[in-house]
Amino acid sequence: MARNTQLAIAGLLLGGSLSAWGHHSFAIFDHTQTHTLKGTVVSFQWTNPHGYLELDVAEGPKGIAHYTVELTSINMLRRAGWKSSDVHAGDEVTAIVAPLLNGDPGGLLLELKVPDGRTLVPPVPGINTFTKTPSP
Amino acid sequence: MSARQLSFAAVVMAAAVIASGACAQTAARPDLTGSWERYRGPAGDPANPPPEAAAPPLKGDLLVEWEERRAAAREADARGEPAASNVTHCIPDGVPSMMNGPFPFEILQGATQINIAQEAYSQIRRIYLDKPQLTLDDIELGFYGRSVGKWQGDTLVVDTIGIKEYVRFRDVPHTPDMRVTERFRLVTPDILWDEITITDPAVLDKPWTVTFAYRRMPDYEIIEYVCEDNREYADEEGVTRLRTGQ
Repeated sequence: MARNTQLAIAGLLLGGSLSAWGHHSFAIFDHTQTHTLKGTVVSFQWTNPHGYLELDVAEGPKGIAHYTVELTSINMLRRAGWKSSDVHAGDEVTAIVAPLLNGDPGGLLLELKVPDGRTLVPPVPGINTFTKTPSP
Repeated sequence: MSARQLSFAAVVMAAAVIASGACAQTAARPDLTGSWERYRGPAGDPANPPPEAAAPPLKGDLLVEWEERRAAAREADARGEPAASNVTHCIPDGVPSMMNGPFPFEILQGATQINIAQEAYSQIRRIYLDKPQLTLDDIELGFYGRSVGKWQGDTLVVDTIGIKEYVRFRDVPHTPDMRVTERFRLVTPDILWDEITITDPAVLDKPWTVTFAYRRMPDYEIIEYVCEDNREYADEEGVTRLRTGQ
């Protein structure tokens, strides 16, 4: 267990200040612009509470060679028709993501074009609050 | 008709009345078994639950502090620095937050027990029917507490006590004495209401009621949910961050 988690749970047990709104916030991601990333899938992780796509970037924001892409819960993905077999390591894909606001090379997946030509859209709650823009 | 025959007829009639009463009671008891998800109908839909109060009826200073925390959370979100929450740490919601959704849940209804399995975090609560509630001295505080239930006509009334203090519904503080009373009732054959009333006189001026509506999900099978690898974490300031890189 990571030290941060231990500290946070200790805070909870002591009646600390950790918020308890019981929902996941997407506020760490930029709602005003998107990045378009073309690259090669290194791994597609089918886990909760989020799926993850590790991507070696061939075309995308300047200076970014690798990107961590977060997806929604795999339960939501499954209900929306996604399968863990939709994406494979080595696939050439195009991902549209809402980037992290702190500038780290990561973001939230809003759209994914896979090699068989399909464009997969994850069921992100409030997806319409994200504005798609040309990649910088 | 002889007195004996009259007596026999009366017994038969009484038995018939009792039997018909039992049938009526059984008929009135709905079958809630199956999968459900939150329902939010269009404005004016009578299946929508009553509107909620703007704020919980917390006592003076507690209400002020709750409103300040809420404003701080909104400001943190606006800055892109949301405070980490229980879900950041894979900690489940507990009662009654687990009834909030947005994930579906499953009700398994038996004659002596009803289980509610919330898909998110694979949370399970067990409701023991027609059993007396225990006292807090006999319960270890937890996420789901101890729930007992009884049918009142077509309504399942569930009493829950024994919730840990930091297992909060909408970040509203409570004491170990908090009592959650729920009234489950079908308002249409496929719309279920859960009227949740929280009483905790030490922190609430009056009982606080919130009602959720759910839609039946025919044929939906609950999917397993294990909080296996959350790369979102809380930094030293308690802010949610995403760990990037492989």
